[in-house]
Amino acid sequence: MASFTQTLRRVRVKPNYETIAWKWMRYSAFAMIPLVWGHMILQDVIVGVHRIDLDYVAMRWASLFWRIYDALLLGFAFAHGVNGLRQVLNNFIHGDRARKVMNWLLFLFWLVITLIGGAALIAGVNRAFPLP
Amino acid sequence: MEVRVRVFRFNPEVDRRPRYDVFTVEAEPMDRVLDLLEYIRGDIDGTLSFRRSCGHGICGSDAMRINGRNMLACKALVKNFGTNEITIEPLLGLRVLKDLIVDMEPFFEHYRSVLPYLINDEPLPEDGRERLQSPAERERFDDTTKCILCAACTTSCPSFWADGRYVGPAAIVNAHRFIFDSRDRGAAQRLEILNQQMGVWRCRTAFNCTEACPREIKITQAIAEVKRAIQTGRLD
Ligand code: FES
Repeated sequence: MASFTQTLRRVRVKPNYETIAWKWMRYSAFAMIPLVWGHMILQDVIVGVHRIDLDYVAMRWASLFWRIYDALLLGFAFAHGVNGLRQVLNNFIHGDRARKVMNWLLFLFWLVITLIGGAALIAGVNRAFPLP
Repeated sequence: MEVRVRVFRFNPEVDRRPRYDVFTVEAEPMDRVLDLLEYIRGDIDGTLSFRRSCGHGICGSDAMRINGRNMLACKALVKNFGTNEITIEPLLGLRVLKDLIVDMEPFFEHYRSVLPYLINDEPLPEDGRERLQSPAERERFDDTTKCILCAACTTSCPSFWADGRYVGPAAIVNAHRFIFDSRDRGAAQRLEILNQQMGVWRCRTAFNCTEACPREIKITQAIAEVKRAIQTGRLD
């Protein structure tokens, strides 16, 4: 009777930009499930968008927990979204040069918004709480 | 029953733009769309061009768009459309050569690019005969051996429509067939090719391919397995 040797087959594929971007989309999506749901339920249902004002933001950012929460949201959700936008634009922008320009523009867009968001998070609302 | 067949017509030697011809034909519910086309070509308009060969869903030459969906004309029964208006068009995303015939060369170029053949330079087994494989090892890639290269999947894929350089589901299916074959040693090479920008990462899991496949191959799953193999390096 013939016998078979079951060999475990493994290969190594060098990760590149595409591999990392794909993995990033998966991990960030997992992180976003609790982050975005929590955010939406709190801001849109419990608090309500019409009651969000500087007063509310000051109160929220008085707690380190919410600052870290918002930082995670900014880090995961925005990069996830911009990478998604890159995928969509890839369908319409075909030239290698044009794609390079697009990638850089998207990167700058991501960087500027993240920096502004990050600065706001770190600086907080520059007023004492509770507001007078 | 009477069937109104609208057929896409284009002859690049005379036509400036394509048109639709309408033929009214008498058909049985169990007739295939291929029978309608044969009848039109044989009895009404001998200039109608389309590919066919086996007539039994195995050569893959008559994939076309029938009422908006990619299928084999020889496997599409008139009764299954639930209407007696049938529109027949060539596959999308490939250049039309004449009427329902498209230029398949870009499709086969993608197919060849994934090295769809056994790669193994190791010496033959001692008895000099076959490289053996267990039933379980054979089972691992059974689904993807069923591909007949009809192009129904690749030409139903929105990523392929958006950019014809995308290697496409059919090529990935045929890469899968060898990547997961325990006798093959070319997996690293193929995964390297599919890891490029126009490789598996262009797949957005639209599932059009799985729906279009006349062989019912679980194509999106096969693509996902290739993606996982690239990420983890595991071929089991
Ligand atoms: S004619 Fe061969 S697959 Fe339809």
